[in-house]
Parts: sequence; structure tokens; C-alpha cells
Amino acid sequence: MTAGAPRPATDADAILDIRPDVVYEPASVEEAIEIVRSAFGQKKSLAFVGGGTDLELGAPPERLDAVVRTAALRRVVEYAPSDQIVVAEAGMTLESLQERLAAHGQRLSIDPPLASRATLGGIVAANAFGPRRARFGSVRDLIIGVSLVRADGTLARSGGKVVKNVAGFDLPKLLVGSLGTLGLIASVTFRLHPLPEASATLRLAGQTARQVRLLVSGMREAQLEPTAVAAVWRGAAGFDVAVRFEGFGAGVAQQVARFQTLAGFQERGEVLGAAAESAFWSAHDAARTTSPLVARLAAPLASIETLAAESLPELLGALESPAFLWYPTLGLGFVSGAPASLEAAATAVGSARASLPAGGTLVLARAPAGVRRLVDVWGPPPPALDLMRSVKERFDPGRRLSPGRFVGGI
Amino acid sequence: MPRDVAARMAAIVGPGHCLADEADLSTYECDGLLSFRVRPGLVVLPGTTGEVAAVVRAAREADLPIVARGAGTGLSGGALPVEGCVVVALSRMKRILEVDLENGWIRVEPGVINLDVSKAVGPAGYYYAPDPSSQSVCSIGGNVAENSGGAHCLKYGFTTNHVLGARVVRADGRVVDLGGPALDAPGYDLLGVLVGSEGLLGIVTEVVLRLLRKPEATRTFFATFPSTDGAGDAVSAIIASGIVPAAIEMMDRLAIVAAKAATGLDWPDVGAALLMDVDGPLAEVEHTAENAVTLARRAGALEVRRPRDEAERALMWKGRKSAFAAVGRISPNYIVQDGVIPRSEIAKVLREIDALAAAVGLRVANVFHAGDGNLHPLILYDAALPGQEKAAEELGGEILRMCVRYGGSITGEHGVGADKAAYMADMFSPDDLDTMGLVRCAFDPETRLNPGKVFPTPRLCGDRPGPYRAHPTEVSGQAWRG
Repeated sequence: MTAGAPRPATDADAILDIRPDVVYEPASVEEAIEIVRSAFGQKKSLAFVGGGTDLELGAPPERLDAVVRTAALRRVVEYAPSDQIVVAEAGMTLESLQERLAAHGQRLSIDPPLASRATLGGIVAANAFGPRRARFGSVRDLIIGVSLVRADGTLARSGGKVVKNVAGFDLPKLLVGSLGTLGLIASVTFRLHPLPEASATLRLAGQTARQVRLLVSGMREAQLEPTAVAAVWRGAAGFDVAVRFEGFGAGVAQQVARFQTLAGFQERGEVLGAAAESAFWSAHDAARTTSPLVARLAAPLASIETLAAESLPELLGALESPAFLWYPTLGLGFVSGAPASLEAAATAVGSARASLPAGGTLVLARAPAGVRRLVDVWGPPPPALDLMRSVKERFDPGRRLSPGRFVGGI
Repeated sequence: MPRDVAARMAAIVGPGHCLADEADLSTYECDGLLSFRVRPGLVVLPGTTGEVAAVVRAAREADLPIVARGAGTGLSGGALPVEGCVVVALSRMKRILEVDLENGWIRVEPGVINLDVSKAVGPAGYYYAPDPSSQSVCSIGGNVAENSGGAHCLKYGFTTNHVLGARVVRADGRVVDLGGPALDAPGYDLLGVLVGSEGLLGIVTEVVLRLLRKPEATRTFFATFPSTDGAGDAVSAIIASGIVPAAIEMMDRLAIVAAKAATGLDWPDVGAALLMDVDGPLAEVEHTAENAVTLARRAGALEVRRPRDEAERALMWKGRKSAFAAVGRISPNYIVQDGVIPRSEIAKVLREIDALAAAVGLRVANVFHAGDGNLHPLILYDAALPGQEKAAEELGGEILRMCVRYGGSITGEHGVGADKAAYMADMFSPDDLDTMGLVRCAFDPETRLNPGKVFPTPRLCGDRPGPYRAHPTEVSGQAWRG
């Protein structure tokens, strides 16, 4: 079979210490289909890997015969700048896509970390996001079409190439965050936005959790429309709040001026220069990418005080070099650090979950094996778990696509 | 309808809320798509989630199909009853349950009217973004089922981008909560696939919607052009300049004539008109509005009007939003079509539609969301003239197939429903449709909810996933086909 003589796997191909026998790297979607179909015939278990930036999300696979790497599926299938849509293969990195788009004054308005490695398919599968989600939504809001290789090798498309389309079920959304358990995402179609003419970031240091909440509500009252807002915890020094405005020059200038009149700015605020702006946002990614333990948090967006005072102190205390990053217009954030003791960290994760504000969730996006053994990385089972299992059963009746990786052992 | 079923339903919802008389049932035999009519077996109007669940269980025990219905304004026959079904009408469930402005959400029952959400939070400076033209009469539950759009979804997205959570009665009567005020709950995004599933996956009994702070400023202009070519060029130039308009709507000559006749607006007699909103922070908006007007003039605008005040702006939008109904002033009958093409092909496609219409001796008025290429050709005909209705329907089908040929969609916001199920195969392969069918079978293995909609070919789920096998009841002719 030309499609894919596999190579033997190495330790570098392991997913959470589970090493596959072989690794395929299909050079085309057709080859990928052939690989999946043949694995189906042989009842082999598969996992799909993009840039590997979110590979530690989820539980270790129960079985793993082969890994299919999408790195060579990196073509732009179609790019229509005047229609502001792009169709690209799943293995393309976000960075290389953005370079293509920037040449036409456009971008895909998502900004998860590690863009030089993170692939489009992986970003969709892991529901990865960055601070611009505040204005443009997540990949869920920007994906308009997908082609999927199902467990048996069937290629299916859903959605389309136009932004507005309600024909049939919205399967692209079902695949967002599905972690490769429903099929191989072969290509994705995204809605694009124009690159802004101007950008400015302001930083306000030393804010209490309450001040952060009031600042955000003050911005809302003032009808400011930031494209990103992040509160970075600095321990005893409180939070640094960064706010980014993007758009046409005149609009950005006015919003910057308006923000400076909000409470506290005169004493503790500064407008970052271009270099400092880009350095700040890169550095802010580090809270999500460099630590051995990373927790993804979700809670009502105005709940920063409860989080800071009640839900998180024990967890932050159980970590060395603890970091807490909160996106206060989204209600999403990250806690990260190095567990001083595995047991204490695991216990603290449990306490944090128990004391989250109503509806809040905490998912371990990365954790040492010793912590994973003690707590479920996904947390308590969601209310719709049986329905999720039914979906999995229909798409992958043999449970051969990343079995056990997903919520509730799916 | 078996009498004991009616009695049981009446016991669940109260006798006054269970309709079995022929006269009452006839009210429910169609939705906004008047050309399709089926008399339901029974109509029940539950008042709570518990009642909806009990009704679903009772219908299931009696092995009857179920069709959920909101305000009945849908234009694709999504709420069209099927023979002998139980219609679950949600119009009594219209309470606003909870508002949380600081966290940006509102929890409502499905019968709440779209515009009433914005009215409820408007005084505090908030609103609900999706604004279908029928927003003063359509309900949130129906919006969720259809993933309704509206003029301003160009910038703000569709219903699916604004629904945070839903309480759902499943096909077996169990109740489940999907999503909620906090984002990214672990697990599959079942809410994402529920929205726009046209009543096939469950009955929504509560919805959590995202609320937005009103933008600081809105600038509106109305520009006229000699032809749709010029108007299409203006749209392309505006979008290419990096402006993201809140809405940009186009009307052609016939649509303008109709809107004038219905509203008394003093719009000129021209080949095409654009109505555009930009909104956001003041300086941004003034800059983009100025640029957009310049670009429209450069593309050949004859005249650019800006409303003097909010009242005049509202009137301009009324002209646009009433355009569908207004066409009744210039034609005894008409079909509202809904298709999508890549925006850059607008001028070409409109000329092609003209040619197709002329070839069969019909007129088409075009009023549509130009910013996202969502066409609404209104096909005018006279049912009294032999053959015209059929010709109009065929022209509608031709237009849809053309949309697919151009890389677009057979529906941008009205849904597939009963009307367009047959066209799904023009847009999707059997494998594509089969994959959507997997989701349906996971939610509703008996295909009890809204059977006959969306999917072009009937298909039962079988006990286990796998290739299609005829079900015994199907062979014997007892089962309805999904």
C-alpha cells in the first residue's frame, strides 16, 4: 500500500506515556482515508495528532495501536479573500495560515498559544483559544465547514463555504473540542476578518479582584469594545489588567483615551508601546504553556472575586511558581504551576472544583501522572453524558478512536 | 387520534390546553409556509418542562410522532405537522425566568418573542443580537430550532452564537441541560448541534441567551444605484476596505416598488438600493460610515441619504423588514426563497436569476442580506393563471441549485424543513447526510421528533449503528418514515 508505509513509533510519539506501535504521516487526505479504513478493517485503535500542543488534554488512551500525524496535510485548499473564507487542511499550522492571510490584509481571529506548532485541526479538536475570543468568539464561532474521516474511513463534509448556512446539522460545532474521538478532521473552513489598521494595549497594575470586576463593568458601561481583556494575578501585588483595542486608527485612539479616564488609570496605568504590547501578550501565554500543571477554568464572567478568595487559594498554594490568568469578559481562565506535592495538588483540584461558583468547571489540560491518578482530569461527569456516549457509539461503535481519552471515559 | 391518548394528554396539560376539534386543529395545519398543509392528530399546549416531558412520554407510549411548534412563523415548513402527529405548541411557555446583566445572560422559556428579550433589557442598555425580520412575532424556541439569523448577523453572528444553554426534553421524555451561563463545559458541544436542528433532536423548554451591551453609536445610510451591479460593487468595496458593517442589505427595483407601496416611504424609483448600518464606539463608527459612503459614491451611487433622527432610521429599516409582506401589494402570489452565494458573485447571480425568470415569463423581486450573500428572491406569480404556480416552484428550485453550483447553500436562515429536504442531496453526498443521521439517531433512535424534515430520504436508525436495514414495521407499512 503506497498510502502510508508507517514508521515504528518512538517515545516521542507517546500520548501521556502510552506509546503506539506505529506512526503514519499521510501526505494527502486520500492517504489518510486509506489509513483509517485499513485500521478499521484490522480493528486497530488510532489517535490523531496535529502539532501536539494540547496532547496532554484528556486521559491517556486505553489502547493505541497507531498514531496518525496530520503534519503533511498542510495545503490551503481554497482561499477567497473577497468572500473572507479559507479552506485549509488540518495539519497546517495557525502561523503559516496567518502568514498567507496577512498578505491579503486578513486574519483568522483566533490566537491560542504556540501558533507556530498548533495546527488548525488540533485547535478545533482541543477547542484552543486565546484572548481575542473576547471580541471574535472561539473557533466554534468561526468554523463554517469541516471534512471528517469517520472511524470506518468514510469521508463526510458538513457546513459549507459560505458564512451563512443552516442546511443540515451543524457538525463542525460537534467536532470542536471532541479531541479526535469522533473522527479525523481532514480540513476546515473558517470565516475570516480584516486585519485591524491599529492596535493598542493598556495595562493597569495592582488591582484587587473587586477592582478588576468594577473596571470591566465600567468599560461595559462606557460602551468600550476591547478585543481582549486579561487579568494576570501577581500574588500579593494583586492583578495586572491588560486591555487591547483594535480597529481603525481614529476609533482605537478614542477608546484608548476613554479608557484612561476610568477609575485607577491615572495612578497605576500605562499605555504599552508596540514592542511592549507584543511582549506582554506573548508572555501572558506562558501561564498556559510552560508549567507541569495547567487547569482550564470556566465560571460566570463576573466571578473573579469568588475565584480569588474562595475557589483558588488552596490550589495556588499547592503549586510552585503559581500563575492565575482570568479573562474577565469571557469567564474563562487558567491556573498553572508546579505541584509541590502530588497528593496536595490533587486534593486542591478537588477543593477548587467543589468551591467554584455555580456552573463553573475546572479541567486539567496538563498534569503530572501522579495527579492524574488521583483526580479525573475532566471533573464530574456532565449531565448529558449518556447522550454524549450515544453520539460516540454512533460515530465510533468499536471505540477505536482515542478510546478513554474524553469525558466520562468516552 | 385514539380517544384515550387525547384524554391522557388533556389530563397532563389541562383540558383547555389540549385541542382535538377539527376547527382548532386546522389552525395548526401549517406554519409560515402556507403551501404545505397537514392536519395534526392532536395539539397540546404544555405550560412547564414537566408537562412537555409527560406529553412526550405519552406520545411515545402511543407510538405517535411529535412535532414541536413555536410561533409558527417559519418559512420552510419546519413546524408542518405530519399525519396523525401530536403537535407540542410552546406558546404558553413565555416567561422570562432570570436576568443577570453583570454576567451577560438571560434565561427564558421558548415561547418568549424574540423582540421581547431586547425590550426586557433595553432600558438597562442591553439587547439580544439576532434580529430576524419576523422578530416582533417569532419565538426564541423557534429561533433555536432554526438557528435564525437576521440583518445584523453579518457582524454579530446567528442564534447559535448567542445561545449559552438550553434545557431539553429528549425524544424519550428525559430532561437534560446542555451548556449554561459558563462557557466550555467539558464534553461534546451538543448545544452547538442542537441549535439549528429544526426540532429533530429535542424540544427546548428553557434557553439561556447571551446579552450584549448596546453599541455606543449606530450610523445608517441608504444609497441608491442605477443597477444591482453597482450596488454589488459597493458592497464588495466596503467589505474589502476592512469595514465590518453591522448590516448591509440590498433591494432591487421590484422590491423597492413593493416596499414603497406598503410603507409610503419616499424612496426613488431606481435599479437598486443599499441599506447599511455600522455600529460600535463613536469615533470608529464615524470613520467607517464616512468611508463607506465614499466607497458607495465611488461605486456609482446616485444618492446617499442619512436619517435625520432615530424615527427616520426606524422607518428605513421598517421598509426593509416589511419587504417580504410588501410584495403582496404588487403580486397576487409569491414564493419567498432563501439561498446563499459567495458575496463576490452577487451581481452575476442576480443577472442569472433575471434570465431564468424571464425565460419562464415570471418576475423576481430581490431583497437580501448582501453582506453575507444571503439571497431572498421573491418569485411573483398568479395562481389563477394555469401553470404559473408550478413554474414559480420550478424556478425556485433552479435558483437553489444555482446557489449550490456557486459554492453556496440552499438555505441561509429559513431552514430546510419540509420545503427543501429534497434539495439536501444537491448540496450533500449520501455519506454527508448519513453522518448527520448518526447524530439524529444518537438523540432520537426512533426518529419520533419531526419526522420527514431535513433529510431527503427516509431512514430508520436500527438498534445498532450500521448500514441501513429495513425495519420490520416499515416493511409491514406501519411505521412512518423519517
